[in-house]
Amino acid sequence: MGEVIVVTSGKGGVGKTTTTANVGTGLAKLEKKVVLIDTDIGLRNLDVVMGLENRIVYNLVDVIEGTCKINQAFIKVKGYNNFYLLPSAQTRDKTAVTPEQMKKLTDQLKEEFDYVIIDCPAGIEQGFHNAIAGADRALVVTTPEVSAVRDADRIIGLLEANEIKQIHLIVNRLRMDMVKRGDMMSSDDVVEILAIPLIGVVPDDENIVISTNQGTPLVGNNTLAGKAYMNICRRVGGEEVAFLELDGKGGLFSRLFRKN
Amino acid sequence: MGNAVVIKGTTYGFSVFIDEQADFTTICTELGEKFRESSKFFGDARMAISFDGKPLDDGQQRKLLDIIAENSEVHIVCVIEHNTETEEMHRRSLEEKLQALEGTTGQFYKGNLRSGQVLETETSIIIIGDVNQGATITSKSNIIVLGSLLGNVYAGAGGNQNAFVMALELDPVQIRIADTIARAPDKAGKMLWKREKEKPKEPKIAFRSGENIFIEPVSRTVLNDIKL
Repeated sequence: MGEVIVVTSGKGGVGKTTTTANVGTGLAKLEKKVVLIDTDIGLRNLDVVMGLENRIVYNLVDVIEGTCKINQAFIKVKGYNNFYLLPSAQTRDKTAVTPEQMKKLTDQLKEEFDYVIIDCPAGIEQGFHNAIAGADRALVVTTPEVSAVRDADRIIGLLEANEIKQIHLIVNRLRMDMVKRGDMMSSDDVVEILAIPLIGVVPDDENIVISTNQGTPLVGNNTLAGKAYMNICRRVGGEEVAFLELDGKGGLFSRLFRKN
Repeated sequence: MGNAVVIKGTTYGFSVFIDEQADFTTICTELGEKFRESSKFFGDARMAISFDGKPLDDGQQRKLLDIIAENSEVHIVCVIEHNTETEEMHRRSLEEKLQALEGTTGQFYKGNLRSGQVLETETSIIIIGDVNQGATITSKSNIIVLGSLLGNVYAGAGGNQNAFVMALELDPVQIRIADTIARAPDKAGKMLWKREKEKPKEPKIAFRSGENIFIEPVSRTVLNDIKL
């Protein structure tokens, strides 16, 4: 039996989709069976980041409504044996799916896959409730900005209220130079406010923009962000991996992965 | 049979209406007859009763209850009073007792209150955890936070001006005690997320004095001034 992981944040534009694409791809590189589900109905873009837009025939809403079989909607990711994307619909809205239907779908998928990773839309309305309905655990993504952290705090409260107990934090787009000048929150500052265990810190890296624009997740390559995302994947699997030193010198290990 | 006694039944009880002109002996006889006749209908139900119309003293009331017990299988669980004076007295003493309890009883809550979450209590509350910005905590009495209090806090919500707020780190966005509101100083140009790290965190207490809310480090002098 696999795990259903929801990637969520509350605020938009902090890197949910990028994180979903990279964590999913990284787990596939670790030879896990993985399926990604884009639940952002009406604003789909996980397929774009994955470079798979041109292959979409059926989508999540078609599966839920029974227009097609689930295997017909799956898009196989090039270069992997057991890695699929279930894309979102672009011409419908969040009300096309209910939380009960989503839970049924993810319960079915986790029988077959090691990881079912759900890209959650921004906000706390129905799209959010659809995304978390079947989730066993959550990755909360935030950037080190007060607005993003505030929304993450709200999201964590809602996840806890929905009985999702395993919640980990990813601090995205950290700029070490600004942290050192005291102009940006450090990951420690964010953890102090949110009081949940940290599973990864991803530096603000222009390679992310390049890889997104090319439709190829950079996880596992030699860039700082690529290493940071690979470490997150290994920690998701339960491995203890030291945190990267993000001040550009690289290679030095700093703090150990904190467990709760 | 006369109409000195009229019985109305509901699922949960009877109201017995007694003619104000009727004498007590007639009332007793009639009540006995009427309950005997309807005893099959009511069976051995457990019910409440109220007497309306002619005022009865305690002895008379007891006598009538005895008659009901003799003539039917019904169990009268309680007698409901319509007397407004007694009712008012009960209400007053109950409310006074409850208000006294607000100040001296409390409950615990363990966990962090996050943005958007609201906790409201009638009694004092002790929170083991943080109250983050965007969260709200309201109590009719005192609030103690064993953690960081950074959100909105409202003590003495019923109007209790002696209510206080205490926290290991007391830096709320807004603090209200009874009808007085204070807000955190503006941080224009400063980093919103920066906490005062230079100084070690010390427990502080907020209380109302005159028309103002004061926040001071917890000391013996301040604690001595607390009124529950």
